[in-house]
Formats: sequence, structure tokens, C-alpha cells
Amino acid sequence: MKQQSDSHHSEQIFDAITDVRDALVEQAADVPQKRRRRWPAATAAVLAVAILGGVLLYPFGGNGGLDMAAYAIAEATYPEMAQYPDEAAFFEALQTLQTQLDAGEITEEEFYTESDALNDAFNEQYDAWFAARRAQRDQPEGYAESLDSFFQASIAQFLSGTETENRVYSPVNVYMALSMLAELTGGESRAQILSLLGSDDIASLREQAAAVWNANYSNDGALTSLLAGSVWLDTDVSFDQTPLETLAEVYHASSYQGKMGSEEMNRLLRGWLNEQTGGLLEEQVSSLALDADTVLALATTIYFRAKWANEFNEANTEADVFHGAAGDQSADFMHATRASYYYWGEQFSAAALSLDGGGTMWLILPDEGVSTDALLADAEAVEFLRYAEGYAEDWETSKFLTVNFSVPKFDVSGETDLTEGLRALGVTDVFDLDTADFSPLSDEALCVSKALHGARVAIDEEGVTAAAYTVMGLVGTSMPPTDEVDFVLSRPFLFLVTGETGQPLFAGVVNQP
Amino acid sequence: MEDDEIVTLYQRRDEQAIRATAEKYGGYCLHIAQNLLGIREDAEECVNDVYFALWSRIPPELPRCLRTFLGRVTRNISISRFRALRAQKRYSGMEILLSELDDCVPATENVERAAEQRALPGIISDWLESLPTDDCILFVRRYWYGDTTKALAQRTSCTENQMAQRMLRLRKSLKHYLEQKGVSL
Repeated sequence: MKQQSDSHHSEQIFDAITDVRDALVEQAADVPQKRRRRWPAATAAVLAVAILGGVLLYPFGGNGGLDMAAYAIAEATYPEMAQYPDEAAFFEALQTLQTQLDAGEITEEEFYTESDALNDAFNEQYDAWFAARRAQRDQPEGYAESLDSFFQASIAQFLSGTETENRVYSPVNVYMALSMLAELTGGESRAQILSLLGSDDIASLREQAAAVWNANYSNDGALTSLLAGSVWLDTDVSFDQTPLETLAEVYHASSYQGKMGSEEMNRLLRGWLNEQTGGLLEEQVSSLALDADTVLALATTIYFRAKWANEFNEANTEADVFHGAAGDQSADFMHATRASYYYWGEQFSAAALSLDGGGTMWLILPDEGVSTDALLADAEAVEFLRYAEGYAEDWETSKFLTVNFSVPKFDVSGETDLTEGLRALGVTDVFDLDTADFSPLSDEALCVSKALHGARVAIDEEGVTAAAYTVMGLVGTSMPPTDEVDFVLSRPFLFLVTGETGQPLFAGVVNQP
Repeated sequence: MEDDEIVTLYQRRDEQAIRATAEKYGGYCLHIAQNLLGIREDAEECVNDVYFALWSRIPPELPRCLRTFLGRVTRNISISRFRALRAQKRYSGMEILLSELDDCVPATENVERAAEQRALPGIISDWLESLPTDDCILFVRRYWYGDTTKALAQRTSCTENQMAQRMLRLRKSLKHYLEQKGVSL
């Protein structure tokens, strides 16, 4: 939100530019570029944690403590982000001035001077925030290719076979964990990871992973999208500092060393994970413990929270039946009617809801009689997910019409052991002591013993500023579209959350809302 | 389908006109609306409104160039939405374009404002035509189509900072030109 202040004159120029001569406009006409989604309504909170653990041949002991700094062997710093101005404080200050004016405590001139100063200060902070945000988001062309490649390769692997359970994973989170693992490995171990990530070499992966991290990290008071990583080493592991410095610098991942298996170390790890994930994965994290024979653990997290761009009206939410894989159950269905693109394929239909801060939640509903597994095995559906990442407007079977959304509130979380899935995807050597190559990190024989991934995605109709966003929506200028469709998610469906830059942050299957 | 054929469909009140417009120019309009508003759903709605605006405007109007006509309608509908909802929504595209155009506001004191405002598009067109073609295209791409500075930098193989400097020079040039012409706002 930016105040109008003196923008009236620039709007006059903008309006005049609208009416410059046709020939000038035509001269500059160009093929439209691919749209990048930005800014989008209810609250969506999603987060994930991936942990890759490794074992040493001969574990040792050491001392533990709860001071993180005391354990740090390579510390990462996070980018300072210009903060979004405090709207509530701004409006309160304006209101105070208005009250003082009404009470005759200040003159009209003082009122205008003071309110102009408030506006200017707000705008200055807004502009700084906007510029910083743009700088963070704009990354070299093609930087997300390796992430896209991994997403395409992995979605069916990690979401299929759910039967009656919910499942959720974070492609970007697992991608960051694998990229970090590639930094710590060599030879065929690294080559297999690079192959899965579609990267030619570690240098290009490093460049792309850094760009992905930067494009998706936001902690500016407007959008919370936190990616974090850490490495945990046993006390007596001899290691080379170089790759750990790379992880700190490029992946913003700190490394800590302490006695594996000790309660102190487990508390440190759990504390770190809870801090990074806003406590939303506390249940899963609480039982997490590293064995005494673990020598290296790698943890990455993503915490993403956004409001719907146009939130659901809570008054329209009502209980109805969700025909789940394990039988019928009651669920709270949120309802909204939007003029929106509606997509379909041979076996599915889909629509999207935008998130404030630039993300989008894609909802993909298999046709009656088609399971989510069947859809994940359907090339066209997987292709659609690829389009959803940035080119959905090019999807041929789509139509812009009135979509009557009926979406169950859900809160799905799960913990997945990635080992089997990664093996199936060709990453095998790092799991076997005979073949694992961790030579960049250590001369000792190491392998990954554990690759856990936890994620949680929750949506509802509310948001911190829900009241301010509610009414305005869609009433203004829209004329009724020529056609409309009911999009009722009353049976198992897939979802995909893409970030501001279109990259896949979370994907999941909802069998039980 | 040729533009003439599409316009003919509108004149015949054939609803195929809207489908044909959407197929041929949907992306073009969405590009502009998305650039100006920055919110996907809102941009899509704007484009939907554009189709219906066309349906009600043709006839009686007969656009000489359908594409530019559509782009102009898209701009006007986008800015209407921006004005109506600016207090509630962060329409990033418009905000940044307008803040940049502050640089062009002439400092001239003058009395005949209304007449000049009507003449302003012509004056700005004259200024654009006085520019080297590249600069003219860049300015129109930025402030008519709403392309980002980064996208323009990529088009011209320069850095974003260099492009920002170039755009700043153009805005100052326009301000100077408007002052020379005695335009006040």
C-alpha cells in the first residue's frame, strides 16, 4: 500500500501516455513475454524440513552445551532485508493527527505538515522495501532449471502410493538439501546427485542453488519465506573446513559440531529446527534424535506463510462431505466465486488461487474415478504441473470463466523417509558405505544413513489483515463471464504451492482434509 | 484470424468475436495488465473486463488498430482498478511506474491547465517522435506496456542499472520538454 500524496500529477502523465499516437505504440509492440506471477487470499502456512544423516565408522564422544555459537564451526549470515513499513502504526499515527485536529489541538496547517511527513516517511520505507524485494527476486535467466528438473523427476516418486494418507513434500527444500549434499561429496556420489538435479557440474549447481535460495528467501514483514540449512558434525570427525565455508556462504547454512547421541546435541538440533520453522513442526521435531553413531547430519528447512490475495469469506464456510480414499468424512468447505482461468486435461481439471506476496496455490482435481496416483502417472497432468510453474496461460485447454471454488480447509503434514525415493531416482552411492564418497569433507568413511523429510501445509480462510482485504475484491469492474463452472474439491486432490518466482515450494496429496 | 475479421464479428454481434480476441490477444492484454497490477488474479479479471468492454464499444467504435485499441482499453481498466483499490492492495507495477513518472512533472506555473491536459498526449507524442527510435521504443515499452527495467535491460543487452540511468535521462528530458512547452499540471 502506498499513499496517494503527490502522485496525482504523475497519474495525469500516465493517462496522457495511454493516448499517445497509435504508431508509437505499434512501433514498440512486441511478443508478450512469459508472465511471472506475483502478489496473490485465506492463510496458507507451509513448511518443511529435510534431514539427511550420515554415519561414521567409529563414533566418539565429546562435550555438549546449549550455546549455539559455542558449537559453530562455520556460521552463515542472512541477507538484511529492507522491512515493509508498519501499516498499522502509520494509520494509527494518521488517526491520532485527525483526532487532534478535530479536537482543535493542532491547526489545519500543522495537520497537513505532519501528515505529509508521515506519508513521506511511509513512502520512503516502501520504496526501499520494494527496491530490495525486486533485487532479491531478480535472478539470472534459467537459474531454476535444476530445481525444475528435480521437481519433474521427483513428484510422482514422492507423492504416489499414498493410499489413504495425506502426503506433502517440498521440492525446493529437498533440492537445497541435495545441493548441499553434492557439495560434500565427490566422484560418483556427486555425479548421481548432479544427474538427478540436471546439472552439468558443481559450479553451475552452486550458482543455481544460490539464485534459487535468494529468489525464494524473504523475511521483510510482508512475506515470510524462510529457507535455512545446517550441518551437524560429531565431535571427533576430522573434516576439511572448505566445503563448510562454501555451505555457509552460498547456502546460508551454518555448521555445528558436538557429541552425537547426547541430549544436548539433540536439544540443539530440535531447537534450531523449531526456530527455523516457527514451531509448526514441533510435534514431528520433538521425537527427533540423532544416534550416537551418526557423524554428520544435514538439515534444511523452509517456512512459508502467506495470506490469500483475495481471502475467503468465513461466513460462507460450511461443513460438507469429503469423499476420501478411506471413506466419507466431514470437512469445512470454503466457498468463493472468482473470475479465473480454469484448466483441464484428459483426466483432471485445475484452477489456481493466488497468495499475497506473489505465490500461487494450484489445485488439481482428478476426474471422477481417477485416483491421485493415476494422475501422477499421467504425462499430461505432470506436464500441466510444469506449466503451472510459469506458463499456465499457454495451456491449450483452458478457459477464462467464473469458477465457483469449493475448497476444504486442510492441514496436512507428514514425515517421509527420502532414502527409497532417492535410490529410485538414481542417487544410490551416498547411502552405501562401500560406495559413498565424502572426500571433499573428510577422509573418513561416511555414508548417509538417514534422509528424513517433514513438511506441513495448512490453509484456511483467514489472515492477519483479512478484514482489510475482504470486501474489496472482485466486485468492481467485472462483468459476468459467459460461462461458469463449479470446482468442488470433495474428493482426493493434488496441490502445488509455487512461490513468487513460480518455483515449486510444496506439493501434496490431500486424501483426508 | 485477421483483425478485420474479428472486428466484423463484433459488428455482427457474433460471440465468436470474444473467443477470437482472447485467442489472438489474450496474452498481449494479460502482459500489460500483469505489468501494471502485478497481481495475477486481478490482471486476469482486467483482461476479462477488456473483452466485455470491447463487446460494448464495437460497434459503434471502429478501431483502426485492434491491438493498440485493446492495449489502451487494458491500460484504462487496469488503472481504474488501481485507483479504486489502491488503499487496500499493493499494485506494485503501477506504484513504481507512477513514482518514476514523478520525475516528469513540470515545475511550470501556468493557468490554462484544462486545455493543456487535453493536449498532453499530442505533446508527449511529439516528444517521443523527436527521440532516437531506440529511446522512443524503450520509453513506450516501459510506460505504455509497463515492461520492467530488467526486461528492457535484457532486450538491449545492458545492465539493469544502465537501463535505469537511461530511463532517468529520458524522464528528465520529457520534463524539460513539457516545461519548454509551458505545460503545467
